[in-house]
Amino acid sequence: MENFIKRITKDVDLSFAILLSFCVYVFFAFNIEVFFSHNISFAILERFAVLGLVGLALTICIIAGEIDLSIGSNAALCAVIVVKLTDPLGAPFAMLIGLSVSTLIGATQGFVIAFIRIRAIVITVGTLMLLRGVALLIAEEKTVMLTDFRVPDFITTKVLMYFSPASLTVIFIFICVGIFMRYTKYGREIYAIGGARKEALTAGIPLRRPMVIAFALSGFCAGFAGTVIGLKSGTAQGLGLQYLLLAGTVAAFVGGVSILGGKGGVLGAAIGALTVNFLNTGLVFYALQVHFVQLFTSVLLVIVIVFQTMSRVFDARQSRKSLLAIIDDRKTSLLEKKRSVLGK
Amino acid sequence: MTTIAQDHQQPFSAKFLQFYKDRTLLAILLSLFAVMFVYGIFFTDNYLTLTNFKAIIRDAALYGIMAIGLTFVTLSGNFFLLSLKETASICGVTFAMGMATGFGSPDLAGNFLVSLLAALAVGVVSGVIQGYFVGMGGNPIVVTLGGAGILYGIGAWWSDNLVINFTRPHDAEWLGTGSFLGLPSITWSFILIAIAGEIVLRHTNFGRKVYLVGANKAAGKATGHENFSMAIIVFTICSVCCAFVAVAFVAQMDSAQSNYFSAEFGSSGDMTILVIATVMVGGNSIMGGYGSTLRTSLGAIFIAMVDNMMVLQGFNSGPRIVGVGLMIVFSIIVFGLFAKGSRAQE
Repeated sequence: MENFIKRITKDVDLSFAILLSFCVYVFFAFNIEVFFSHNISFAILERFAVLGLVGLALTICIIAGEIDLSIGSNAALCAVIVVKLTDPLGAPFAMLIGLSVSTLIGATQGFVIAFIRIRAIVITVGTLMLLRGVALLIAEEKTVMLTDFRVPDFITTKVLMYFSPASLTVIFIFICVGIFMRYTKYGREIYAIGGARKEALTAGIPLRRPMVIAFALSGFCAGFAGTVIGLKSGTAQGLGLQYLLLAGTVAAFVGGVSILGGKGGVLGAAIGALTVNFLNTGLVFYALQVHFVQLFTSVLLVIVIVFQTMSRVFDARQSRKSLLAIIDDRKTSLLEKKRSVLGK
Repeated sequence: MTTIAQDHQQPFSAKFLQFYKDRTLLAILLSLFAVMFVYGIFFTDNYLTLTNFKAIIRDAALYGIMAIGLTFVTLSGNFFLLSLKETASICGVTFAMGMATGFGSPDLAGNFLVSLLAALAVGVVSGVIQGYFVGMGGNPIVVTLGGAGILYGIGAWWSDNLVINFTRPHDAEWLGTGSFLGLPSITWSFILIAIAGEIVLRHTNFGRKVYLVGANKAAGKATGHENFSMAIIVFTICSVCCAFVAVAFVAQMDSAQSNYFSAEFGSSGDMTILVIATVMVGGNSIMGGYGSTLRTSLGAIFIAMVDNMMVLQGFNSGPRIVGVGLMIVFSIIVFGLFAKGSRAQE
């Protein structure tokens, strides 16, 4: 526990994330009477099941030093597949197929990125469009709907007051991914290629394996988010879910990942996603239009970026100052030596 | 001079042959695509007519102009903006507001020049602010993703998410629906902007600086050309191009709404992604320092040709997006393989 607290206080971005999420929560808790209640907590966790996953997907990619722009399309594709197959095959089997498709897509992307050695933003812009087209094609350009809306009820039943099977599964995924990223060799490899790619490659880490794992995980998380949304609403559209990219990016950046890679973690992703959830849930009570929600989410992103950039600039200045101080020290000692030699 | 240059740069045909030897499978796919393309050209009805060619260039013009603006950003090594369509939409709303209401003063209502200047000013402001953050060291993707949400939010808030109409005989008709010497004005603008971009990039001090900063940021910094001012300038150029496209589009439609440029614009989904795709299909290096506006224009025309062919073959929007998406992914992979082992990668 002591270790844990030390970790948080040492990491400026993570403590800023905790502070920010606390501020947002307290603001809404004071302004809206019902905000601090069991039902709202349940609702926040329900949203967390979707947004947390997308934030986690982006966090993993950004830790690996890349960014996956296609998660919105990937989620939409998975949602369309799951909703379409639930009727003939039943929900579990449909979920299995949808998730394996998403994971496979992610893994393929990772493989291509590592094989050709291009930046992920380049290839994922292409796949964003391609997957959207595929989703449209599978949905036959219509909104796909379940015929029996009672089928997916099992994922929204309340368990233990705050949880539903969906949010419990997502928390389980978070814990698994957290352990994987922190304590296994493969997880550390992802950090390594993100933080210092040249050094990692020189040290003998293959680029292909961590890249494929990172993007497969991200594809899986995006697909799972799409599945939850699709099953919950019972409908899916080929062109839908594009807002997930913005929300996920905000969650990841609030959670303290650095765009330079190699920094951040699952805990940060969870806190970031919760912050965005607090904001979205709170704004619901003001009955604002959709574009205001987008506006405030973007403002949150800009605040975080400004903070991160400023702290980076400040760090750089500090380290330069200390370097200059060291140089000055050496200079004075050398000068004294010289003076003493000349004095003799 | 020339012999030295030739030693350094292999001719394209030799490079292609080498490529064919190295990666037979990909080359076969490439040839297959070429064959399909040629087949499509000759066996699609009404494809090889002058009218259709005009339609293709007119389609290409709208996202081509934006893509030319984006080329500056990409060449300077700042990747791309994810706020293209939002910039365009807020500028379009500004222009339509000016044409419809004159920003509150009835004297100015329908005044083309004032509305145009207001729209361009909005473009400049949004470009400068985003460029400032990027120049300070923010990542372009993330900054513009945030900027996109804010711009869209402001645009929708200002217009109350309604369609702003203005009536038909207006001063902007020459830009929207007018034509000159048989070509629409927007096509002329595309051609002129492409030529201007090429001249600026090749023959001015600023253009060479763009290449320098993009090719080697450290060298640029060492020689006094920092990315800070460069980011602001290129982002402004790109946003102004977006504003111009928005004005032309709104002038053609006689109306504006905050999500005019969102999903299903034209045919291939998202305007932003389409523009970014155009830059990539043209073969500009996304890491900066390599490419030209000519390549971008050709990319725009190429995408428009393929899309037009699929329209004439009677495909729905789903297969068309798949087609264009496949083309993008394919061209990225091909250009990536061509560049493999060169300095284009990190």
